[in-house]
Amino acid sequence: MMSSRTFSLLAPVTLGIIILGIWEGICRFWHIPPYLMPSPSAIWRALMLDGVALLHALLITLEITFAALIAAVVGGVLVAFLLVQSPLIERCLMPYVVIMQVTPIVAIAPLIIILIHNTPLALTACAALVAIFPVISNTLQGLRSVDPDLAAYFQMHKASRLQTLSRLRIPSALPMFMAGLRIATGLSLVGAIVAEFVAGTGGNSAGLAYQILQSGFQMDIPRMFAALFLITVAGLVLYAAAASLQRFALRHRS
Amino acid sequence: MSSPVLSLAGIEKVFPNGVRGLSPVDLTVEKGDFVTLIGPSGCGKSTLLKLIANLHTPSGGKMSWWGGNFGDVGRKGRRMAFVFQDATLMPWATIAKNVRLPLDLEKVDRATADKRALAALERVGLGHVTEHYPAQLSGGMKMRVSIARALVTEPDLLLMDEPFGALDEFTRNRLDEEMARLCYEDGLTTLFVTHALHEAAFLSSRVMVMAARPGRIHAQYEIDRSILRNEEFRLSDQFAGISRELAILLEDASRESMIQQEMRA
Ligand SMILES: Nc1ncnc2c1ncn2[C@@H]1O[C@H](COP(=O)(O)OP(=O)(O)OP(=O)(O)O)[C@@H](O)[C@H]1O
Ligand SMILES: [Mg+2]
Repeated sequence: MMSSRTFSLLAPVTLGIIILGIWEGICRFWHIPPYLMPSPSAIWRALMLDGVALLHALLITLEITFAALIAAVVGGVLVAFLLVQSPLIERCLMPYVVIMQVTPIVAIAPLIIILIHNTPLALTACAALVAIFPVISNTLQGLRSVDPDLAAYFQMHKASRLQTLSRLRIPSALPMFMAGLRIATGLSLVGAIVAEFVAGTGGNSAGLAYQILQSGFQMDIPRMFAALFLITVAGLVLYAAAASLQRFALRHRS
Repeated sequence: MSSPVLSLAGIEKVFPNGVRGLSPVDLTVEKGDFVTLIGPSGCGKSTLLKLIANLHTPSGGKMSWWGGNFGDVGRKGRRMAFVFQDATLMPWATIAKNVRLPLDLEKVDRATADKRALAALERVGLGHVTEHYPAQLSGGMKMRVSIARALVTEPDLLLMDEPFGALDEFTRNRLDEEMARLCYEDGLTTLFVTHALHEAAFLSSRVMVMAARPGRIHAQYEIDRSILRNEEFRLSDQFAGISRELAILLEDASRESMIQQEMRA
């Protein structure tokens, strides 16, 4: 018998291979031109041909993604700690956090890019803005999700504010925070790519989104797909990394 | 004569929303007592315990701990520990760290704290799981850890709010025997809340039967302290007799609570 883990990996991979096969077959059988719909083999060729440039672009995008993630986590945690200090602070600040969240990044990105002259910094700011909200809201909810009996226990033993924070509130917030971090990881990548699209930066510091735009202009659709493939792989790897970090951090709780 | 461990005179609690949790309650707990609070749901047992633990402030009445006020609780000879209905452990910390918590909060040095935590765990028969995490233990074991966390401070008064309510009968009986040993052999003063009549009959030196709406003490019942609380006692006629008398008092208290409720309706 196959273990359910192997099966849950094998089943989607098999499906993927079947779909790729059908796709390849359709493209070949009806001689569909690659600028309409490239076959998987054409995409693979484009990837091999232009791999170095695309990987370089991917690296640039990932740099922005990570910088944005770090900024979102640090900033989001700080904001959450600030908000949890007093109901007054929360009342005053929360509407702005929400406003920030509901304004589409595509709409503010041009403004940020004009305001911040350093392009990578501007892109990072845009991506961080996308990723920060789940960090804020999850950390906030986490800091509040303290077991009331445990909190009473700390109070009864006359624990100081600092002891309660470090020994109770922060560990209690960890599960919610880790869930927020996982969402933020995905959003950082999305934010970085959206910002690159808006900025449309060229030159040798251009990320994957620019490669996609450019391939579009040149009608090089296989290359477009190749870039898309790399983004997907990067997204998957980031997701898996965040998920295992989450599992590791919470390994003792069930 | 030294002052009683606990002394409550006319203690009342009206919640901010207007609910009368407790109407005036008088209660004295002497050193070495095992006092049990029993009564229908909502009669204010938890409220009373929380008032004593200073987690609620009373709306009226006078309360003293070892003849003094709450500010002095926690000093040597005036230590209080609380065991909740759930084990209330920190899921992120090992058993040893959980038991060490009250000592850590008091900034007892690490080596001493570790030694005392291990000793406390051994007292409840869990010396072998110090490096486990709460998720790896059964409900009964977690409850034992919770008791060890209370014992590690060497309390002079132990407050327990339905600590074994969620456990199976067998585990509960074993833990009751351990509690009886702690009180009647080691002299640990205990104030215990339970729903279970048999538990009250087995453990207590005094049972306070409470009635509800508003919460108050309906009757008290003394039980001979010199009885050996063991398996034999549980099967004896004496135990059956105590249980029967308690059942009658409790039935009375419940009926009165209902009448009060109907009068109000
Ligand atoms: N924080 C609170 N605010 C308002 N009412 C409360 C609060 N806590 C308890 N009460 C009310 O006070 C009464 C006594 O509650 P308490 O929890 O002390 O009962 P109990 O005897 O412990 O019941 P149980 O056996 O179900 O645990 C109940 O009617 C309850 O609804
Ligand atoms: Mg209760």
